Amino acid sequence: MTNIVEAKSLRKNYGNFTALDGVDLTIPKGAISGLIGPNGAGKTTTLKALVGLCDVDGELSVAGRDPRIARHKLMEDVCFIADVGILPKWLKVSHLIDYVEAVHPRFDRKKAEKFLSTTDIPANKRIKDLSKGMVTQLHLALVMAIEVQLLVLDEPTLGLDIIYRKEFYDRLLNDFYDGNRTIIISTHQIEEIETLLSHLVFINKGKIVLDSSMSDLSDIYTEVLVDADMVEQAEALQPLYVKEFLGKKSYTFESASREQLKNLGELHTPSVADLFVAKLKEEKHE
Amino acid sequence: MSKFAVLQFYALLKREVLEHRNIFIGAPAVLALLLLVATAWVATQIDQIQLAEGLRFVSVLFDGFSPLDMAPFVMLLAIPFCLTLCVCSVIYLINTLYQDRKEMSVLFWQSMPVSNLQTVLSKIVAIVLVAPIFYVLIIFAMYLIAIAWLTILGIISDMDLVGIGYLFLAAIASVVLIYISAVVTGLWLLPFVGWLLLFSAFAKKTPLLWAGGVFILVGFLEDFIFGTQFLADQGKLRTLDPRQYLIFDFQNVIEKVFNYDTLFGIVVGSILIAGAVFMRRFTD
Amino acid sequence: MEDLILRNRYTLLVVTLIVYMGVLVAEGMITGREARVIEFENFYFELDDFNSIDFEGFRETRTVNENTRVDFDDTDDV
Repeated sequence: MTNIVEAKSLRKNYGNFTALDGVDLTIPKGAISGLIGPNGAGKTTTLKALVGLCDVDGELSVAGRDPRIARHKLMEDVCFIADVGILPKWLKVSHLIDYVEAVHPRFDRKKAEKFLSTTDIPANKRIKDLSKGMVTQLHLALVMAIEVQLLVLDEPTLGLDIIYRKEFYDRLLNDFYDGNRTIIISTHQIEEIETLLSHLVFINKGKIVLDSSMSDLSDIYTEVLVDADMVEQAEALQPLYVKEFLGKKSYTFESASREQLKNLGELHTPSVADLFVAKLKEEKHE
Repeated sequence: MSKFAVLQFYALLKREVLEHRNIFIGAPAVLALLLLVATAWVATQIDQIQLAEGLRFVSVLFDGFSPLDMAPFVMLLAIPFCLTLCVCSVIYLINTLYQDRKEMSVLFWQSMPVSNLQTVLSKIVAIVLVAPIFYVLIIFAMYLIAIAWLTILGIISDMDLVGIGYLFLAAIASVVLIYISAVVTGLWLLPFVGWLLLFSAFAKKTPLLWAGGVFILVGFLEDFIFGTQFLADQGKLRTLDPRQYLIFDFQNVIEKVFNYDTLFGIVVGSILIAGAVFMRRFTD
Repeated sequence: MEDLILRNRYTLLVVTLIVYMGVLVAEGMITGREARVIEFENFYFELDDFNSIDFEGFRETRTVNENTRVDFDDTDDV
């Protein structure tokens, strides 16, 4: 199995609102995939559909199973952390660990306790008495102690301060990711994760706008910091996106010849944030 | 059933007890305390000689009774606990599949490899089989305290204490009968259990209103379409006759469980429980 | 069919209630049977007035119903 997620024509409506409008998505095994989109784009719906928490129409296979049919079997191979504080507030930390140990066949209690020992989370405290950052640390510690193929994270660092966010991603990369496991993250804070990603998906208004590996991106998209005297020539090549930067103009091109572009100015690979804005604006004009 | 599956189910039951400590343990404990305090207060208001005479009268009345004969009378003292368990069960069942959706912790519970069927079954087992255990333990503790007090009173009043031994055995027999009564009543009321669970899983708000409102609506529609009142009749049958809730004799248990109406109730209750299991997939 | 039933919570509720009521009404109509509470022959269900409890009568009834019973008279002889 080379792809851990294969989705075709996913559709989901909430009343008159179309959350997913024919989403096709393929995520390779071992990727760290970012799902980027504005509010209401369909990120949460997509991720919930992948873990069987949301019924959708269309073809869907996650780790070789259809999440709509065998969710509980799928959850032996997949872990999910949602954006809202979802750990049950009335439960004590120690009881939560006991519970996960009892219900999950792949949970390693010693590992979880080792991760938790590096935090300030006391075992006898109730989850409602923990800060938001601690709750996220706790959830991540539990998840990292489970041998899963796929980790799905829906805005996991929402509302956390920079220290917790940094620590979260450090742990994710150093303690969880081993090259074989797959991680799917949705987030608004694109700058924070773009250096981590190996695969990128843009979603807007329920449609996939971009689905590409990071290595392919640099072949397809080029950003040029254009010299003042080359602006007209740059405009003639129909750039995807233009932005002003320190008095100079920066143009982003799609599928343009690098040979042709290097005459215009300094070439770069656009940042994910700039590419995201560019693709959204392109969508708007279509 | 594998060992892991058994441990998994045990963890689900433990979760229910921890989450609803107030219903499983708090309510009967508070009630026991109130009853003991009330009894002690009443005892202090009665003249000690009259109290001793009263106890002598009761011991004469029950003279020759075996513990099994005395057990039903002892059971009657537990009626407030039975009523409390009924009320707490309704509160538990109508909230149990609703509360975790309301506070969004359903996203965590469903992220574990536990099926919706296991989840719903664990809630039924928790209220029908596990909650009564806590109730009878607390009732028995209350009985022990009462027996200890009677013993002290008996010693002070120079009474024959042989009957206290029989009373103790009667207390044991009575709590066993209370537990069996609770379980059998749970099976008898399985259609209501299923109804409450279905609406607990269905409602986005006010599940109790939904459960009650739809019951009335469906009853009305049945009468309108078929001209029958089977739903209302079943509702009245299974709830209004108080004689059906307490079993006073071990011999009656098999007859109570393996009769047509109980088994039919289990079948129709299972339809509603199946609906609740499928309804669980809608987590919003 | 499954897609229709599980389309949303409302369709599932309606289908569940239709099946439930269908079974209830069909059973009632086919058997023509009125459901009833099991009536046990139980002394305790006859208790109306505590003062008129026939304890002696009850004791005798229990004696008759039990297969073995040991009676003690005043001399403690069996």
